[in-house]
Amino acid sequence: MRTAAAPAIRVGIGGPSLTRAALVLGVGALLLAIVLVAAVALGSVGVSLDDTARILGRRLLGLPLAQTWSPSAETIIFDLRLPRVLTAMLVGAGLGSAGTVFQAVLRNPMADPYLIGTAAGASLGAITGILAPMLLPTLAIGAGTAWLGIGLVQVLAFSGGLLTVMLVYSVARRGGTVHVVTLLLTGYAVSSILAAGVAMLMFLSGRALGAVFAWLMGSLAGASWTSLAFATPLVLLSFVLLMARWRRLNLLLLGDGAAAHLGVDVEREKLVLTGLATLATSAVVAISGTIGFVGLVVPHVLRLAIGPDHRLLLPSSVLFGASLLALADLGARLAGGIPVGIVTALIGAPFFLWLLRRARTPLMP
Amino acid sequence: MLLGLLLAACQPAPPSSISPTATDRVSASATRSAAASAYPLSLTDDVGRTVSLASEPRRIVSLAPSNTEIVCALDACDELVGVTDFDAYPAQVTDIPKVVVQAVPDVEKIVAAMPDLVLAAGNHQTPQGVLDQFDQLKIPYLILYPDSLEGIYADIELVGRALGATEQATSLGAEMRTDAQAIEDRVANAARPSVFYEVSVYQGVIYGAGRDSFLASMIELAGGKPVVGDATGVIQLEDLVAADPDLILLGDAAYDPSVTAMSVAARSGWGQMTAVTQQAVKPMPDDLIITRPGPRIIGGLKALAKAIHPESFGG
Repeated sequence: MRTAAAPAIRVGIGGPSLTRAALVLGVGALLLAIVLVAAVALGSVGVSLDDTARILGRRLLGLPLAQTWSPSAETIIFDLRLPRVLTAMLVGAGLGSAGTVFQAVLRNPMADPYLIGTAAGASLGAITGILAPMLLPTLAIGAGTAWLGIGLVQVLAFSGGLLTVMLVYSVARRGGTVHVVTLLLTGYAVSSILAAGVAMLMFLSGRALGAVFAWLMGSLAGASWTSLAFATPLVLLSFVLLMARWRRLNLLLLGDGAAAHLGVDVEREKLVLTGLATLATSAVVAISGTIGFVGLVVPHVLRLAIGPDHRLLLPSSVLFGASLLALADLGARLAGGIPVGIVTALIGAPFFLWLLRRARTPLMP
Repeated sequence: MLLGLLLAACQPAPPSSISPTATDRVSASATRSAAASAYPLSLTDDVGRTVSLASEPRRIVSLAPSNTEIVCALDACDELVGVTDFDAYPAQVTDIPKVVVQAVPDVEKIVAAMPDLVLAAGNHQTPQGVLDQFDQLKIPYLILYPDSLEGIYADIELVGRALGATEQATSLGAEMRTDAQAIEDRVANAARPSVFYEVSVYQGVIYGAGRDSFLASMIELAGGKPVVGDATGVIQLEDLVAADPDLILLGDAAYDPSVTAMSVAARSGWGQMTAVTQQAVKPMPDDLIITRPGPRIIGGLKALAKAIHPESFGG
């Protein structure tokens, strides 16, 4: 496969130079570092940059610094802001890489990580998790003592997303093959059924409607070290395994037939890639709700800027997706705790429109 | 709650005069009961959680206006270090830092206030995610969610115990019970008209008193038969027309001057109801104290009773 693959890439896309890759990833990493510092240092309560750096140095690096700051400042920096910023980064990274993969597998410019059922399945699971304690009081007593900080809502959202995509995939499969259009339409139909369930539960939710609504809008307000510990390994695992398949992702862009001629087991790859991207999506949706726009736009913008080679595109989508969502969440926090999805759409969409107008080539190859 | 019922049963006969609000008469000079020996203290809040307090709280954050009013009625207003941006009573609380803005609690600001007790609101008013963060940060909190007058008395007792102000709480509760009983006695023998209390009407969705709700029980105590919607207070116009209330009280008129007896009569489908044709549609400028489950609730009950039975109050 290797001998066949390399020339195809060269002809179709043009090989990335090592210096260009280093430059793109270097800029991405630098931006991420700047965003990390800024997002941890800023918030509704003022903590000086000096104290912020000292608190982080003491708690993260174990430096023997004298405690010149108040205990509440340390709690705010270390237990509230840092896990929240890191969660935003993890969610942005997961959505960015999953969006890249879904767009390649589905060869659809509208594809985002939620398209084939993750969002609908996770939403139904999460809302069930929010409302169940109200219907079954025995669950309510345990609500404050969530297992390892991962509550019913997160578990049901995660499994709801995974199970829905599995269902969609198996329904769309005919005679061992999955046609992309069938997959998209099946995803749409199954999502519609689940969305009806979501709407029904919202109608019945009464005073809990606010909690349900907040989840659907997507929020990082509940971020904690424990929720981060739940999702991080899943997103990392998904990313490492996706990176290992960058050549096959590139070949899939040529179309199923061409990819098969070049030695790719197309059906198997589509299944594995969909599964891995869904794993990351479900993990981040479970801890943040459905935050729109990031998974759609980050891969498009990067493809416009650096081209469609997944060896560079995947890690870039992780770095820039992480920065984008952490920045958007900082904006949401400074704006008085509004849902972060409003910020991503309000600032991201005009930027995306500008890029679209500026692009000389169509978005998808 | 049981304690409250027992105390209620022991009340003396009601006095002939009714004060506007019970809080006005709580002696401000009453000293905080020296109950240092009471701590560490174990309390059970309105959702059944057990909360331990190692020592008497000195820095209190209130996440609901009704909680703020309870704290201040117990002479502990100066111990509040965080309130909501909706708090305006008593007037001195407007100077306290706002840790809830537009109904969204800001956990950073709450932590920065360094509370040793947070009084949260039940029924999802304080989001579960925020409560989870309190748990993780080991910030003690009580969830207050009274669903009846007895529930309010019980919450005053609960906060009183938490703050080491049991004496004030007991006397405030006793006064409120006495005043409530006096109001109930005044309307006890009057005919009971059916009453629809309009909370809001928006985009054709009508909110009134919910089935088994606190507001419904208030109407009951004030000598009316409540016309209720479902558990969330939503009532279909058809059901409202079929119930044909004798009296419609406009709680939303307190905030929206465009809601009047005339605008109600002009609404499509409302014009033929008895209350409208008999001109028994009244604005309720006291909506805030009728619907806020705090120490001023007796004033709200009186306003409601006066609106339903003006003849019993010499009006």
